[in-house]
Amino acid sequence: MNLFEKIFNYQVISRLDESGSFALTSQERSWLRMMLEHPSANDAFSTGTREKLQQLLEMEPLMDIQEIILEKASSQVRHVYHPLLRSLRRMMMHGQGILVTYRIKHGGVKSNQSGFPYKLEYSMVKREWYLLWYNTRHHTLMSTKLHNIVTVEHKEIPADRAEMLRVKLADLLGSRKECAVIEVIRTFNAELSRILYAFACFEKQVAYDEETDRYQIRLTFQKDESEFVLSKIRFLGTRVKIAEGEQLQRRMRESSEKALARYGVEG
Amino acid sequence: MARESFDKEIQFLRMLALAGGAYNRKQFAQWLGISVHTFDKTLRYMKDIMNTASKKLPEEQGKAFEEALQLNYYESADPLLLFLFRAKSVRESESHRLSLIMTLLQNQSLTAMELIDACSADIPSDMPLPDEKTIRSDLKYLEEVGVIRKAPGNRPYRYSIHNDLITQLTDDELMDLYDFVDVMANTQVPSVQGYLMRDNLKSALGQRGFGAGHMDPFLYKYHYHSRILDEAHLYTVFHAIKQRRKLRFLYLSPKKQKGYASKNTNPLFERETEGIVETVLPMRVVYDHQYGRWYLIGYNARQGVMKFRMEGLTQIEEGDVVPEAEFIQKLRNVEEKMQFSWVTDTGKLVKVRARFYNPTGSPANFVRDRVLLQGQWGSITEEDEESFVYEISVNGMSELKPWLRSFGSSCEVLEPIQLRREFIAEWKEINGYYEPVREDL
Repeated sequence: MNLFEKIFNYQVISRLDESGSFALTSQERSWLRMMLEHPSANDAFSTGTREKLQQLLEMEPLMDIQEIILEKASSQVRHVYHPLLRSLRRMMMHGQGILVTYRIKHGGVKSNQSGFPYKLEYSMVKREWYLLWYNTRHHTLMSTKLHNIVTVEHKEIPADRAEMLRVKLADLLGSRKECAVIEVIRTFNAELSRILYAFACFEKQVAYDEETDRYQIRLTFQKDESEFVLSKIRFLGTRVKIAEGEQLQRRMRESSEKALARYGVEG
Repeated sequence: MARESFDKEIQFLRMLALAGGAYNRKQFAQWLGISVHTFDKTLRYMKDIMNTASKKLPEEQGKAFEEALQLNYYESADPLLLFLFRAKSVRESESHRLSLIMTLLQNQSLTAMELIDACSADIPSDMPLPDEKTIRSDLKYLEEVGVIRKAPGNRPYRYSIHNDLITQLTDDELMDLYDFVDVMANTQVPSVQGYLMRDNLKSALGQRGFGAGHMDPFLYKYHYHSRILDEAHLYTVFHAIKQRRKLRFLYLSPKKQKGYASKNTNPLFERETEGIVETVLPMRVVYDHQYGRWYLIGYNARQGVMKFRMEGLTQIEEGDVVPEAEFIQKLRNVEEKMQFSWVTDTGKLVKVRARFYNPTGSPANFVRDRVLLQGQWGSITEEDEESFVYEISVNGMSELKPWLRSFGSSCEVLEPIQLRREFIAEWKEINGYYEPVREDL
């Protein structure tokens, strides 16, 4: 199997696209056949569709590459697919609103909340799905675990209102962005690769100052993600420090003082 | 394109994706060990691919190449680095011919001779007309990669496109398939074929009237996009493991041992002259979820179990076959050694105990939840209102340490005492980074 096939070439693909044709290779089908063996396929398709796909793929060799892969340091997987994905994705596609009932953290249930769904988000860390939606009554952006949704129904809303809500949501997300600058402690420049990999899952810009041989990483993230950003910074330990971002700096100072206190040492 | 040139492109892309914005072209070229001219040429080539491949996203075109490679979380879930796998160079006339053959076979089955006639009519006048031998070899290639197939029956064979997977599905089924492929490519490994298929399904849905606005319902938070670059080597390694064959490669260690004082050395990778030629029997591949990185685990008579970062493998070649019994024995050895590796560390087994403090004033115990979620095979051994003790026996402490430290003051290392001391020293140092600056009066 070769991932660098002529058939994947960008000019071939763009010509095919222009003429409305496709070229599915046997390695793509083998990959799909392998993925259909995953238990999540049960939630992704109706039984009829899944059987139809299996039948269409039965002549393909089964890709057995996962045998040689050991996945390490992964979070326990709560789910890869969730039964609600299919219906929610269609409501989103049709620009519909929702009426949702869900369980809340402190116990108890919020019933029949009107809203507008924006995106379905999978956290690679928590290993589960969330619905990002706009609560139209309280005018707030919500993130609700699909696991906590008791019921969700669609609710018609006019197309122009849906469009307005989409713009509003994009603005809201934009306005919740925060920035921080992380500096690589110069003696750890040798570990730049590790450090950049650790931040590879964020929106970021890296700057290098040749004069001082100093690397700085400007991270952009949502306000409610600052705890995760902090845990990444602590993960890297003495290799990095926060050069800009008062709130985060204060939290790191508190965190290190408190940690030292646990060990009976003064900061 | 030659293999070495691919190696270089992967390095190049990795560098742009990881350290985008950090370097100017002179620095880039110097560190890649190429001339500025070659750098510019490569960049132009990649820009060209990117603009053609991502024409579905016209807004990207105006953007600088580097900027376009940056992760833009809420904009699109299209994996931009995928175009590495679309970079195989194909002659203009060949790309015309291949796409023409596939287009002609889209709705009908034709024999080789019929295809030659049809091609002759459709090939642009400034290109050479294909002869029978060329068309037959194209058909052979397309059949091998599974894009077309022979219809049942005797000679002359009739060929048709192998697209049942798309054509046999209703709109609704195709949408479900697209979503499934999208989710699996983004959450599982390996994923390159999934992303390639996703592109095909996206076009198919586009032709059925589903616009681009319907194609990105999902977002993947804290996802490592650059991991697909390392899949470039995955199948070579897989093939060698299946065949019980040794692999020989030039290893450019991303973890350089010395020489960092030199200003001209880029820590992201070394030049080829600084690499080491290694021969190992490949055993397994490890994917590390903490960093989105891949490792090759191999065995070498001189050094025993060896670990290599996949990104450092270049100029890979297959070597001799070893007997099955030998392979199995080595594999058992590797499996045994790695059973308690947090990632790949095969150091001495050590028992680590740490006390975790439950959050105060919060109904949800996110500390405990996270320990259970990420603590691998470790377990909670004591528990009271305020805290709990987590215990794990692990091969070496270095890989576990960052995880424990990421909990900040919610984690206190109890044992071993050496690790406890290291934590105290590190927290002191970190605390020093944030001490308020005192103004001299």
